[in-house]
Amino acid sequence: MRYGGIIFAAIGLTCWPQVVFGSVDISQLISAAKAGDTVLVPTGVYRGEIRIDKPLKLIGVGRPTLDGGGNGDIITITAPDVEIRGFRICGTGIDLDKENCAIRVNAARVTIVDNILDDVLFGIDLKESPDSVIRGNHIGGKVLDVARRGDGLRLWRADRTIVEDNEIHNGRDAILWYSTDVIVRNNKSHDGRYGFHLMFSNGVTIEKNDLFDNSVGVYLMYSSKLKLIGNRMLRNRGPSGYGLGLKETDDFLVQGNIFVGNCVGIYIDGSPFATPDSGRITENTISANDTGVEFLPAVKGNHLWSNSFVDNFEQIAILGRGELTGNEFDRDERGNFWSDYPGYDRDGDGVGEANYESRLLFENLTAREPSLRLFMFSPIHQAVEFIARAVPAVRPEPKFTDYYPLIEPPIEHGAELGSSTSLVMVALSAGLLSIATAVLGIVFFSPIRDAMRERRFIAVI
Amino acid sequence: MHNVVQSDLKSGGLVGRVETVAVVAVSHHGRLRVPSFASNVFRIAARELRESARSRWFLLYTAAFVALGLGVSYVSAASSGGSGLSGFGRTTAGLINLVILVVPLMALSAGAGSIASDRERGMLAYMLAQPITRLELLLGKFTGLAAVLLTSICLGFGVCAAILAWKGSRTDPVALASLVGLTFLLAMSMLGTGLMISVATRKSSVAMGVAIFSWLTLVFVSDLGLMAGAVALRMRIENLFALSLVNPMQVFKMWALVSSDTSLDVLGPAGLYATDIWGAGVTWIFACVMVLWIILPLTVAASIFSRRSPI
Amino acid sequence: MISIQGVSMAFGRFQAVDDVSLSVAAGQSLALWGPNGAGKSTIIRCVLGLYRYSGSIRIGGLDVQRHGKEARRLIGYVPQEIGFYDDLRVHEAVRFFGGLKCVAVRDPDSVLDGVGLCGHAGKRIRELSGGMKQRLALAVALLGDPPVLVLDEVTASLDAMGRDELVGLLAQLSQDGRAMLFASHRQDEVHTLADRVAILERGRLQREGSPAELLDASMTASHLKFHAAEVRHA
Repeated sequence: MRYGGIIFAAIGLTCWPQVVFGSVDISQLISAAKAGDTVLVPTGVYRGEIRIDKPLKLIGVGRPTLDGGGNGDIITITAPDVEIRGFRICGTGIDLDKENCAIRVNAARVTIVDNILDDVLFGIDLKESPDSVIRGNHIGGKVLDVARRGDGLRLWRADRTIVEDNEIHNGRDAILWYSTDVIVRNNKSHDGRYGFHLMFSNGVTIEKNDLFDNSVGVYLMYSSKLKLIGNRMLRNRGPSGYGLGLKETDDFLVQGNIFVGNCVGIYIDGSPFATPDSGRITENTISANDTGVEFLPAVKGNHLWSNSFVDNFEQIAILGRGELTGNEFDRDERGNFWSDYPGYDRDGDGVGEANYESRLLFENLTAREPSLRLFMFSPIHQAVEFIARAVPAVRPEPKFTDYYPLIEPPIEHGAELGSSTSLVMVALSAGLLSIATAVLGIVFFSPIRDAMRERRFIAVI
Repeated sequence: MHNVVQSDLKSGGLVGRVETVAVVAVSHHGRLRVPSFASNVFRIAARELRESARSRWFLLYTAAFVALGLGVSYVSAASSGGSGLSGFGRTTAGLINLVILVVPLMALSAGAGSIASDRERGMLAYMLAQPITRLELLLGKFTGLAAVLLTSICLGFGVCAAILAWKGSRTDPVALASLVGLTFLLAMSMLGTGLMISVATRKSSVAMGVAIFSWLTLVFVSDLGLMAGAVALRMRIENLFALSLVNPMQVFKMWALVSSDTSLDVLGPAGLYATDIWGAGVTWIFACVMVLWIILPLTVAASIFSRRSPI
Repeated sequence: MISIQGVSMAFGRFQAVDDVSLSVAAGQSLALWGPNGAGKSTIIRCVLGLYRYSGSIRIGGLDVQRHGKEARRLIGYVPQEIGFYDDLRVHEAVRFFGGLKCVAVRDPDSVLDGVGLCGHAGKRIRELSGGMKQRLALAVALLGDPPVLVLDEVTASLDAMGRDELVGLLAQLSQDGRAMLFASHRQDEVHTLADRVAILERGRLQREGSPAELLDASMTASHLKFHAAEVRHA
């Protein structure tokens, strides 16, 4: 470890309250420091924009607050090898044209660790900053209409950057532009527009992130060589609410993720694009989405196998009148698990003997006339399917066929999300049953009560 | 203010002794006092509750409702791979479907059977010859039957909740509780409709037929008609949504979706339209429609009942 | 106690009651007499406020159509046949109807004693014989000591023994100072119970007077009619 020297701003550390505006001028400390120094900033509230133009570590002790007061940027880094750690940073401006930002970086190898960013338009904005580390930060955006929000995190040509253990919320996107070999790991991104958004970024690994309540959990666009492993996409909803969106993306592996409660679990638009047969989707659990996987017409070259499709209102959908013939729903004689598969496994190899075919009349109708979805969950929905089964003439052609449907889900993901006996549910049950019991008790046992009353009366006489 | 008079009835010959029969309340004008509106409604309701809860239809429907609810919650909670994954999913969707099928049929036939069969048995005239008003009788019947239906609903959902708790399903208890409330509202609206059918028909068999026909209409025929209309007439989604609001089953369904934290956009463009235009206010629209569906049939029933002879 | 003035009532085009005026004072007992369809029951149902009619009916000064609930509180009504929940026990029925009349029935047994139903309090209504049911109806009618009794062919569905018992009971009650209005087509009942008879035919009041002077004449008349009809058929 190389420490050029430590400038310890001790003023205010000994007396309390330590908040004395202007008693410490961080800019003066920085200008006083030499390259490679560590600047410790004591707890307190600091105003004014900070520019860091030499490699140094700026470390908050007792989480000092850098308050932009609702104007402009807060920290601007123009030198490489800078570290920012332990601050609370809040109150950028709201000018979307100037992209008001909490931490703006225009240099390589920065480390931004353990900061709390609050009420910021843009959170951390890396430009031409390869080999950086963004770790353990909490980035909360401004409560604005989505169109007026900025990006919680933005990487622009920041190759080999590591983004991990951050929580990003109420922003627009966490977005990667032209950034290669980035690792995005263990982050939470929620209540934004796109949980993570890749543009022209190749070789990115997105692993074990939680993406919930966004418009889209992860949107991959115009990128290739991507790995998306072990993430959870929950409740990403809205007019185009996808757990995962794939647009003209090549060579992707989507493995072991959980997609629950999204409008569309996985939305595939023109992917793979340039590299044929390079889409691999496997071992995911896709459950309780309105639509499990939605294909745009003419999408081909995807392989889906060993996934669990559980209780999606529509398991697989094709927008418009496309065909799915260019995609395969099995690999090595293993297909997917479908919760609505009616078949059985005679030879015990875990694969059902009959093909899984999706030929639901109601789905077919809603694909042609989407407004008919209004009648979902009504008895008429079941009635239509019943008619389709009874009258083969009105039964639609299958959308696709899984020749090797699995009998059991290949990976049990449910336990991970926890299924615990809820005490509230127990109480609800007890409450409802006791209401019913009380009424029935009065009804059926009043003759007994009356008889007792009469006997007592007789005794009195 | 009320002096209590011990009135003696000399029963004489047959029994041959004088007995204190009952305590009669007399107002200070000397007029015999009549019970209040509320107390008569309550008495009749209690009577109706006890009779209906012992009746065959109640036991049959309740058994069916409990059994089906048990099945739905057991199957959905135990569905492999989805354990713990589906919050809304199959359980709520299944319960909504079950409620729409069973509860209106139960409420409609309970309502339709009540007054028409009383009239057939001559009980209606006898009751109305007592010092009660027709509105008291009608509201008493309504209240009593509503209590019976509530019992049945509580029993059914109580069993469901028990299964879901036991199986550790992630179904939200609050959503389930609001589903119970909504089911009760739906039951009351259909009970009012049943009573309206009942006072308007002379024979209980006819009343029952009309009730079942109404059920078929509300559950299947009207939806099928709307679906056909949407396709054939290329109906605009706002019109489709507005028309679907007429049907209490659809309103129940949509309200249940909203109250289980499911956005109406599940229901495609029309649902999206509703969310965009009305936002959270859509709940108020549902509430208004439901309240209208409870009040209007009852009002019509009361006005027919006050005019028609009870024999 | 009962004042019926110019009452008319029609079922569609059929005039069931046509401008009938009658009155019954306290302590009096008036029989409505006439063949089936003469309008006896219709008048009784008008008095109970079950039908809408034109004209005016007052019970103890209360208009039946305007203050039906209060007016009916003054009436004890016994129908031709009691129609009520079959499963109900006798004492439950007594309590229930007592409640509707604002009468707290402390001891249903003693109420039932008065009509000779002692010991039947725990029975269900469907277990009672026709005569017992009618006596139960009478007990219910007498709850709260109403000043008016209205009886509609109360013995029509009873056998001879049940009829005699019930008529015996009613004869005692008619001495109690109540106003009594009853419909009957049995001569012996009218003779036993009525002070006066109103003879109805096709909804119109034909004559009114004492049983002795009216009934014999009218019986002769109807016998004659009957014979004439038979002769024509033969």
